[in-house]
Amino acid sequence: MSATLLSVENVYAGYDKADVLQDVSLAVAAGSITCILGSNGSGKSTLIRAILGLTKPRRGRVLFDGADLVGMPTHRIVGTGIACIPEGRKVFPKLSVLENLQLGAYQEGDQGKIARRIEQVFGIFPRLAERSAQLAGTMSGGEQAMLSIGRGMMGEPKLLLIDEPSLGLSPRLVKENFAVIRRINELGITVLLVEQNVHQTLAIAHHGYVLSQGRVVASGTARELAENAEVRAAYFG
Amino acid sequence: MTLGLLSQYVFNGLMLGMIYAMVAVGFTLFFGVLDVIKFSHGDVLMVGAFTGLATYLGLQALGVDSPLVQLLVMTVVAALAMGLLGALIAKYLVLPLRLAPPLNTLLITLMLGSVLREAVRLFYPQGSNPKPFPRLLPADFVSFGAFTLRADSMILLLAGLAAIVAVHLLITRTKLGLAIRAVAQDAETARIMGINFEFIVLLTFAIGSGMAALGGLMNGLYYNEINFGMGLLLGVIGFSAAVIGGLGNIYGAILGGFLFSALQSIGAVALPALFPGTSTAYKDVFAFAVVIIFMAWRPTGLIAEKKSERV
Ligand SMILES: Nc1ncnc2c1ncn2[C@@H]1O[C@H](COP(=O)(O)OP(=O)(O)O)[C@@H](O)[C@H]1O
Ligand SMILES: [Mg+2]
Repeated sequence: MSATLLSVENVYAGYDKADVLQDVSLAVAAGSITCILGSNGSGKSTLIRAILGLTKPRRGRVLFDGADLVGMPTHRIVGTGIACIPEGRKVFPKLSVLENLQLGAYQEGDQGKIARRIEQVFGIFPRLAERSAQLAGTMSGGEQAMLSIGRGMMGEPKLLLIDEPSLGLSPRLVKENFAVIRRINELGITVLLVEQNVHQTLAIAHHGYVLSQGRVVASGTARELAENAEVRAAYFG
Repeated sequence: MTLGLLSQYVFNGLMLGMIYAMVAVGFTLFFGVLDVIKFSHGDVLMVGAFTGLATYLGLQALGVDSPLVQLLVMTVVAALAMGLLGALIAKYLVLPLRLAPPLNTLLITLMLGSVLREAVRLFYPQGSNPKPFPRLLPADFVSFGAFTLRADSMILLLAGLAAIVAVHLLITRTKLGLAIRAVAQDAETARIMGINFEFIVLLTFAIGSGMAALGGLMNGLYYNEINFGMGLLLGVIGFSAAVIGGLGNIYGAILGGFLFSALQSIGAVALPALFPGTSTAYKDVFAFAVVIIFMAWRPTGLIAEKKSERV
């Protein structure tokens, strides 16, 4: 668990003129669950967008598996082995559950592998199997969350970026989803988890960073962060 | 009205409806993936028809005189050339303007339409005159009493149907079609799935423009004449048809195409009957007036689609 899979180095990124992210550096160890904590508007989603190339970093490097992702188009970045469960789930509402899952494996050409992964996702979320022909937009929020997670697994990525999976879910569903994230990690997928929900996140994460106004203000192991009184007072209430 | 005349109206209406539907499908595809109205679409159809004609003349000069071969080569060349033109327009005019106000795209493609029109008028030999389009389809017909079935019309109708069904199957049954639908619903999430957004946009523009070329050829083969201005009205009608159907919805566009031609037929038959002395030339006025009233009544079109529910 020592090798670094992803390292973000001195990244500046933003929209229009002002930089949202300022000099952000962090490392995600292979095999780990690394979390980014921060309040609303602190730049967590922008960081994910910067890694994916959706918001191009103005300065800095994003090294993944040794290659610099900065400047690569998003579909090539995905091709290096990165998948994302975006904020707000973003299932395709007018596509069926099955089609949503197939899109998660868009760059996989082997139909056999796709079929096996669909079975794997259905194994984790039997509910999705029951609804495979249903349009995603007609499902409940909890079911859409399952679909979005399942879709993120379909590409069998080396790194899975997860943006606020607990957003808008009931406490019970949040708990279930975090258990699934841990299971995904145990399958060998490295996870970068962005969250505001501190307690549950630190309970499954190995390492974490705290983002405030676009800067990294604290980092450490999950335990260190949980015990960091300053961090708790400032960001978690 | 005799049965024979009626059947002629129905047939003519179906033929026009098919052509309108083929144009409307392009408008709806472009709007679906990129939220843009590409106003040069009708003129791409016209250039497609002229490409077909030029290919025919070229083949004749080469001594190829089998109508079947001529027809196939013309179709392939026109569709591929317009597909390429559509992709180029998307890459160099539409995509670069993606972050600009939509009005700019509209204006630029409107101007491009004029450029295409003028280019054909000025640079095609005697381009300002109507051009005879070769009769390449068998002229046989069968009669059932007053009712005549012409082979050429049947072939054109079936070919148009086949093209529309092919596009439909591509969109609903293939991986590329799935990607097109994903981009239409949520372009950013589609990119996160690893879809090459730009490629899908170019492909969609190529498909829509290839369809327009086929529509142009159908038009030429049906009326046996084409002219540099033919795309103007066809473009407006195709656009209206797409809007009637609920822009972004493929079935709506097809339905809209046939509906518009039905309105024209009704206008051509009903107006002179109701108001003796009116010419059938008012059929377009009638059809557009109904469309305007319809749009005031149902601004989102027949098949109302929310922003997130395209294609
Ligand atoms: N598309 C955008 N255009 C302009 N500003 C944005 C955009 N998205 C986010 N921002 C701004 O960037 C800052 C960080 O936002 P974001 O990365 O979404 O934070 P978080 O995910 O931590 O809530 C906020 O001030 C927000 O207003
Ligand atoms: Mg966010």
